[in-house]
Amino acid sequence: MHSVDVLRRVPPWIISTLVALLVWQLVATVGPAAESSIPTASEAVLALVRMLGEGATWLAVWETIQMAGLGFIIAVLIAIPVGVLIGLSSFAFRSTKFTFDFFKVIPPIVIIPITILVFGPSLQMGIFLVVFAIVFALAIQTAYGVRDVDPVLLETMRCYRQGVLRQIWYARLPSAGPFIAVGIRIAAAAALIVAVVAGLIGGAPGLGRELLLTQAGGQSDQTFAIVLLLGILGVLVSRGIGWAQRRVIFWTAS
Amino acid sequence: MTIEISIRNVCMEFPGADGVKHVLDNISYDVQEHHFVSIVGPSGVGKTTLLRLLTGLMPPTSGEIHVSGQRISGPPKGLAVVLQDYTRSLMPWLTVEKNIALTLRKQKLGRANMRERIESSLEEVGLAGTGKSYPWQLSGGMQQRASIARALATRPDILVMDEPFASVDAQTRFDLEDLVLKVRDDFGITTVMVTHDIDEAVYLSDEIVVLHGKPAQVRDVVTVDIPFPRSQMATRNNPHFAELRTHVYAMVRGLE
Ligand SMILES: Nc1ncnc2c1ncn2[C@@H]1O[C@H](COP(=O)(O)OP(=O)(O)O)[C@@H](O)[C@H]1O
Ligand SMILES: [Mg+2]
Repeated sequence: MHSVDVLRRVPPWIISTLVALLVWQLVATVGPAAESSIPTASEAVLALVRMLGEGATWLAVWETIQMAGLGFIIAVLIAIPVGVLIGLSSFAFRSTKFTFDFFKVIPPIVIIPITILVFGPSLQMGIFLVVFAIVFALAIQTAYGVRDVDPVLLETMRCYRQGVLRQIWYARLPSAGPFIAVGIRIAAAAALIVAVVAGLIGGAPGLGRELLLTQAGGQSDQTFAIVLLLGILGVLVSRGIGWAQRRVIFWTAS
Repeated sequence: MTIEISIRNVCMEFPGADGVKHVLDNISYDVQEHHFVSIVGPSGVGKTTLLRLLTGLMPPTSGEIHVSGQRISGPPKGLAVVLQDYTRSLMPWLTVEKNIALTLRKQKLGRANMRERIESSLEEVGLAGTGKSYPWQLSGGMQQRASIARALATRPDILVMDEPFASVDAQTRFDLEDLVLKVRDDFGITTVMVTHDIDEAVYLSDEIVVLHGKPAQVRDVVTVDIPFPRSQMATRNNPHFAELRTHVYAMVRGLE
């Protein structure tokens, strides 16, 4: 077998990852960052392997996932019903859109001081931040989706004397599906980021706080190992959500 | 003969940016029970608007519409619809049989009867065995058949269709035309159809309503006195068919 054939069988993401690590290694050994405190790729990877053997790392991973996950679930449970209600009425849509757009663009960092006052540097604080960061955008996204329903479909249902609740359940919600899916994809990524920021800046438990602690302790190989770990988590979350979406919103797969 | 749908002095105006748009002007017409009526007229004359009024989707600006002697204020009981745009009237997230089941929920049939009703109506339109497919897995003609099956499954008194065969190929179109004639006979359904195809209107109808003008008025009501059952070959070769078609064509174009 030729070596080219072997290369073709390797998934592209492995190749690009290896290339990136190699570039990192070169930059940190002989390249522009050789004199800095940035660890080499091999140091970071070794630190990661070492840390994965420690229970504390897994606890931090769990805390971050919990914070991001619970915040995400709460935000979804609030945003979708609220979005549907707003989307049903033109008046409600126009009058809430401004407020929601306003809250949507406030970076969660801005309210960290207030949340620390209320919750302290805790899991609850992180969850609250995550909810705050994603609930408005997701509600608006849902409202847009509900409004995007094909009028022909609604009129057909009305002709067959289907009530408003059935119109919502069978026509409006599924129509909003692709919109909600986009919102959820963005929300899941944001949830993870905010859960880390909550620890990094607000002192909430999890990988964010570990980042802060290792950095303060001068263990830059571990800091970078955590960054690697977060990257892997992010990819897994986005893959998982993509997988679920292809199954739930199967009819748009063309 | 009893009157199934009575349209009395119906006017329709739409508010617009540049004033009121007067679309229908004093339309009066009665649809007899079990009749097949076509509405024809130039594009944009107001055919769909008239159809939407008599399905009760919106109220006329003035005038009244009665169905089975009752003035309607919304879609009446026993109404079924087939629209031109079949890709937009079936739900892509439900299988064909679930699409049909959705409209049957009101009738409280029970599981076994419901199954039977769905299967027999699919069979009726030549779609036996496709109930488990999603609409987007079917061809355009098949989707339109599914939409007709959904209409038939409700055992409607009135079937309203807006250019139902406009976007299917010629062969399918002939098949579907004969299908709606057959179900009209089998179930005694009163049918109102909008079409821009004058041959189709003559082939299918007991009466043809010609709309013309801005705002639109009933320019003529043509009785198609060609006996039923009709057949694609014989009926279309009937000399009287050609006469009627020429007459309706002239009416639609405003030549007579
Ligand atoms: N909801 C509406 N608002 C404003 N104008 C409308 C509306 N519906 C139809 N019209 C107008 O009414 C006229 C007739 O439309 P339509 O009934 O769709 O014609 P047809 O079906 O005969 O082609 C058109 O000029 C159209 O622009
Ligand atoms: Mg039309």
